[in-house]
Order: sequence, then C-alpha cells, then structure tokens
Amino acid sequence: MFYSIRHVTRFQYSSPVSESVMEVRMRPRSALLQQCLKFELHVTPRARVLFYRDYLGNTVHYFDVPGHHNRLALIAEAVVEVEEPEDIPEAVPMAAWDAIDEMWASGELYEFQMPSHFAQPSAELDKLVQELGVDRRENPLTLLRRLNQQMYSAFEYAPKSTRVDSPIDEALVSRKGVCQDFTHIMIAIVRGLKIPCRYVSGYVYPRAEEENRSTPLATHSWIEAWIPGIGPNHQGLWVGFDPTSNCVCGDRHIRAAIGRDYADVPPTKGVFKGRATSELTVAVRVLPTNAPADDKEELVLVPGSNSGSSPVADQHWEEMQQQQQQQ
Amino acid sequence: MTMTGSAIERRKFPAPFENYELGDPFDEMFHSSGAPRQHYQEIYDFLLDLPADELKLHKQAADQTFLHQGITFTVYGRDEGTERIIPHDLLPRIITAQEWGKVEAGLEQRIHALNLFLKDIYHEGKILSDGVVPREIIYSCKHFRREMRGVHVPKGNYLTVVGTDLIRLPDGEFVVLEDNLRVPSGVSYMLTSRQVLKRIFPKLYQACGVRPIDHYGQALLATLRNLSPEGRPEPTVVLLSPGVYNSAYFEHSFLARQMGIQLVEGRDLVVHDNIVYMRTTSGLRRVDVIYRRIDDDFIDPLSFRRDSILGVPGLFNAYRTGNVTLANAIGTGVADDKALYAYVPKIIKYYLGQDAILQNVETFLASDPTEQKHILANLDKFVVKAVGESGGYGMLIGPHSTKEQQEEFGKKIIEDPRNYIAQPTISLSTAPCFVEGGNIEPRHIDLRPYILYQGEKSVIVPGGLTRVALRKGSLVVNSSQGGGSKDTWVLN
Repeated sequence: MFYSIRHVTRFQYSSPVSESVMEVRMRPRSALLQQCLKFELHVTPRARVLFYRDYLGNTVHYFDVPGHHNRLALIAEAVVEVEEPEDIPEAVPMAAWDAIDEMWASGELYEFQMPSHFAQPSAELDKLVQELGVDRRENPLTLLRRLNQQMYSAFEYAPKSTRVDSPIDEALVSRKGVCQDFTHIMIAIVRGLKIPCRYVSGYVYPRAEEENRSTPLATHSWIEAWIPGIGPNHQGLWVGFDPTSNCVCGDRHIRAAIGRDYADVPPTKGVFKGRATSELTVAVRVLPTNAPADDKEELVLVPGSNSGSSPVADQHWEEMQQQQQQQ
Repeated sequence: MTMTGSAIERRKFPAPFENYELGDPFDEMFHSSGAPRQHYQEIYDFLLDLPADELKLHKQAADQTFLHQGITFTVYGRDEGTERIIPHDLLPRIITAQEWGKVEAGLEQRIHALNLFLKDIYHEGKILSDGVVPREIIYSCKHFRREMRGVHVPKGNYLTVVGTDLIRLPDGEFVVLEDNLRVPSGVSYMLTSRQVLKRIFPKLYQACGVRPIDHYGQALLATLRNLSPEGRPEPTVVLLSPGVYNSAYFEHSFLARQMGIQLVEGRDLVVHDNIVYMRTTSGLRRVDVIYRRIDDDFIDPLSFRRDSILGVPGLFNAYRTGNVTLANAIGTGVADDKALYAYVPKIIKYYLGQDAILQNVETFLASDPTEQKHILANLDKFVVKAVGESGGYGMLIGPHSTKEQQEEFGKKIIEDPRNYIAQPTISLSTAPCFVEGGNIEPRHIDLRPYILYQGEKSVIVPGGLTRVALRKGSLVVNSSQGGGSKDTWVLN
C-alpha cells in the first residue's frame, strides 16, 4: 500500500514570543516492511530545518525561529509504502517463553524491559492485571492477542479524558482514555510479564470495514512486543498490537517513531521565550495513493493534545541554580 | 572506631603541640613513635620556634584575605545567611615527591580507563556485552544519557576536568574514595589557599621547595582550546555558570578571570541554525568551547529537563553536530556513579590490561542480595552512601549515627537498593591543624587532586585540595557539610 500523509500542527500564542526551538518526530521510519519515499516539513515563519537520527533510528527534525512571532505552523507531508506483512500466526509454541527469557537475561533489549517515565508499575495496574487474569499460562502470542482484546473491552475511548502528561493511574481508575493511555498501560503490563515491549508513535489509515475508535484526525500510538521464533528466518519479530483499535498491526499502521514511551517520541517538542500561553491545533490526513497528494485542500484543525510548551515562571530560577550539584 | 578509643599511650609533645594525640589513623606529620616525619621537619621546627601568639595573628591575616577576596561557599539547608567564608586551616599538608609520583601515575591510569569506558558505553558497549560490567548498572543510572549514544565527541575526550578524592589508609597508602567526573569544584580554594600561604609563610615556602600550581588556569585554558571544533583554530571559550545563587559561583568567576574568558549564564547564549552565539554589547559572537558548570539535566530544556531556564535551548543539537564542544561531555556521570565505582579496577584491567595503581576502598552494593544482608546487619559500622548524590548529602556514617538514623537508612536501602552502597568506616589520615585556642591538634583530611585529561597524558598540578574535617573527630570533609581546606605542598 502507498499512503500520502499530511500532518498540520499550529501553535497560536497569546502574545508574541521569540526564540522558539523545536524538535519534530514525524518522518515515517524506513525499516522492515515500511519505506518512506518522500518527506517534507514546511515551517512558518520560515526556518532552516535540520535533522539527525537518534539512537533508536528515529529521524528528528529541528529548527529555531529567533524573531518575534504570534504563531508557528508546521506542515509535514510524507509518502510511504507499506508492505502487507506475512500473517502473524495465532499462536507460538510454549517454548517461546524460554527464548523470551533468554533475550530478557541477555539485556540486549534492556531499554524496552525496564519501567519508563509513563509505563510504571502501580497498585492500580496490579488490580487490572488481576482482573484480566494476565499470566504466563498461555503461549506469549495468544496471551498478547487476548490482552489486546481485553484492553479494548476494559476501556472506553474518551477524547480529552486525560492530558498528554497524565500518569496511567488516571485512566486506570476512570477506565477511560485515549490511545496513548491504552498504549502505556499495555506496555507496563507486557513488561511486567517480562516480554520486551516498546511504544510506537505514528499514523493509522482507517478502513471502514475494520473496527476503529481513534480519531482519524490525530496521530496514533500502539505497542510492539518482541516475539521469538517468527518472522524472516524465525529470528523473532516486533509484533504490533493496537489496543485502541483491537487489532494486530498490519499494513494500515504507519510507524513514525519508536521509544520506551511517549516521553521519547512526542511529535513536537519545543520551548520559546516569552510570557504567553500556547494553543495547539492539529490535523492529520492519511490517504491511500500512488503519488504524493498535490491537492491543497485545507484540513480542519482540531485542538491537539500531543504537545505544547509553556515558559517557566522566573521564581524557580534561584532554586534551580542551587540544585546544580557542584561535586 | 578508631578515633580516640584505641589511642596508643598518650605522649607529651612540646608546645604548641601539647594537645596532639596520635591514634590508629595515619598521621601526616608524625611517625607513630611521635618523631616528626622527615618532610615535616622544616615546618615542625618552624612551629616550635614561633612565638605563641604569632600563629593567631597569621590566622587573622589569612581570614582577612579570604574575606576580602570573597572566597565563599554556600551551605544549603540552613536558615541563617547562606554565604560563608570557606573555612581553612593555616598549616600546609605536605606530600613527598615519591608519594606524589605514584598518585599521579595512578590517577592518569584511572582517568584514562574511565574515559575509554565512557566512549565504549556510548558506542559499541563492548564491556557490557563481554559481561564485565552489568548492563543494569549503566541503564538504571540516572546520569546515563541515552541521547549521547553514537554521538561523536571531539578527540574522544569525554572527560576534561576531573577531581578524584583520595584518602590514606592507616598504613599510609593512598586509595581512591570517589571520582568526580561531572562538575568537580574546589580548585579555586586550592589556588587561593596557595596565594594566601605564600604571603604568610614566604620563608618557609621557599625553604621547603614546593612545586608550583599557579599555572592551573593556563593549563585549563589550553586543555579547553585543544577541544575546539574542527575549522575553528582560534576558538572562543566561555565558562557557563548556573548563576550567582549557585554555591560555587565564586569559583566560576574566579576561573573565568584566571583564564581571561567570558563568564556566561544560559540566558547569555543563543543557538541559531545549530551555531551557539554569545550576546555581547556589540552583537552576537560565535562560541566554540563551553566549560560548563551546569548539570546535564539543566543544560538544554529542549533535550533534557524542559522546565530548565538555566540552560540553552538547542545547545545539545549544536553539540551533537560538532559545532560546539562541551567540557565535560554530557553523560560522564554514569562513570562516577558510586555503584560503578566498585567495578573501576576491572575497568582499568579491561581497557588497559594493567592492574590499578591506586586501589579502591572495599565497597558493598545494596543491589546484590547477599551484600545487602551484610550491609543491613552492620549499619552501625559502615558508611552508607546514596549513589547519585555528591557533596556529602544522603550519607550515613554508622559509628556516628543513632539507632533511629540507622533504621531510617535500613528502610531506604530496602526500598531502593540500587541507590545505596556501603563501605567500611575508614579513619582518614590526620594532619596538624591550628585550632581555636591557639593549639595545634590532629584533624582528619582527604585529598582531591584535579586532573586535566588530555588523552593518554593528563596534566595534574602537583597537590590539589586537601579538605579538612574541622570538627574534632569528624570524618566529613565536604565543604557543603562544614569542612574546610588546607594548602597542599608537593615537594621537589
């Protein structure tokens, strides 16, 4: 499948700001079954866009706008080819647990084994684990398929019920949330089972015939768990599970960035100078295509939740200077 | 404990030493027999001959100088005025050329190995896949900066300025207590103590044949200039300070003055299109090398703590690209983690194929279940330290602690074992100090030499900062905990 993606992000400031510096993690990855054929990032006010590749292989674009500005707009356009993956089997042998344990002990995927900023164990998480009866009595793949389905049933998809920096306990208590909450909760459970697991930020193309709860207007997130013995040469595979849409990821999930959790891969991350509040609106459109979409159709922007920045009040300043450890 | 309990027979010293007691700890000035060591003979005779009140006058003169120069330190967590003169002692601590030779070689070896270690863990991680150092120690360390993986550092030098704390065991051997690889402080006290002492004891200083340290500032500047990004032969070097409220601000301004470079704060710098500039009265000026005295966490709100307003947004990306050099590099704290410390002898062996010239103090890791049991059973004997802290914060000194303090630490250890290590309580060596009342008494000391790392070779100015636990019997020498300093004389 070819997709054309248009991702518009707009920050509107309550009063003029200056020295905006921003990082953007939107370029679809080129790895495994996915190839990013084209990517362009347009910034207004005009800025020189540079990029680097981070240690997880994500492409990070960045720029700065030194002068005064009232708003900042980003338009990311990408064309991606996604191949249909081989069918993921329903189950793997129970012996797969041994291979997982071996990988776990080797520490090769250590980063995706430890609790991370948003994927922390908690009493509320334990309750859910108990309730869902999650343990290692089934083979890992069957277990994850079941867990994914259970996550879908246990939570109500409710935009704005949580904030971008909410700890998972909020969603765990209310049983409501958005894709990011479900993803973090599932990561914490899967790592608790001692299966290496990571966060994927990206886009999803909604097909009418398939279950779809996430707003097609926003970026999406899901998990990938490491399953041994499948994939090319049976070397093991990162299998994507999307607890928001209740599916195993295939050729309609487009991966932009991977990380330990959201904190590693926000689509935008920035700071600016000035005493202003910022209002963020976002629009995302994913279309099947054979070539980059060249229409200039205006997308409808909706209030975004994925990233904003606000200046820090000056009173913390003295305290922060003191916190600097001089050894 | 070894302080006074097992003091050998009380011997009578002549004035002003009449209250001098020798115990188990190694004494810098006296043999256990009570005879002065040869390298202290000169100063011993000088003190015996000195009229009784003369020392007091010297001390007053020295205090005045420190006060006038504003050589102060801030002690946190106190209600009264936070700026205090750094307490100092008048009498120099003396080290022989032979002793220094070994210390110098040992530090050069150790810091070189630690630099190779940093390079390795931020690139291939061979020492981890070879199982010499457990991955967990690295990845769970709060000073490990995953953002540094694969980042090229000029000349491969992660370390530039290092302060390693040494103590002497009762048999007189120097051992390493800890390394400070992030933002070691105190070198300004070393330099100012020397200036003051040269003025107060000019003849004694001449007579002893002391190796000079005044070139430190120029050596530091040369080391920093040497790290200039490619294509910038005449680099602009600046010192980045958190600001006037920081405890070491005096030192930051002192060093900037010594080197003749600009002292800047985060808000004085700006990054545009990957280049770092300093705001000056005549416009923006490009900056090439930053001697930074700000923690990693705070240095760039875009890459690290977003709420930091001390740092420079975009600095890390300019650094990653190689347009500016930070000294020390980001992420060096993973190698001075107190849990990693236990592995340093193995690290030296791994990279250099050599045995460590300077030994470690025996260390138990609370993260190891067996060692944890041992620690919990001996809380009254051990010194327990939080691994990520420095400056003597978060520490339990077993023999000097109450049952309640021990219980409190026991709980903390069980809750967060990775965060604690324990070491036997070592009675640091003692050196003669001028105490209130006009006598000379022994006080516990350590030694922090400053290493300017330049690759296989380092520049280490002879001596360093001798820190003194000014309270009788105390083993805590950190300036943040009320310790003081002493000039250190390495003889020719």
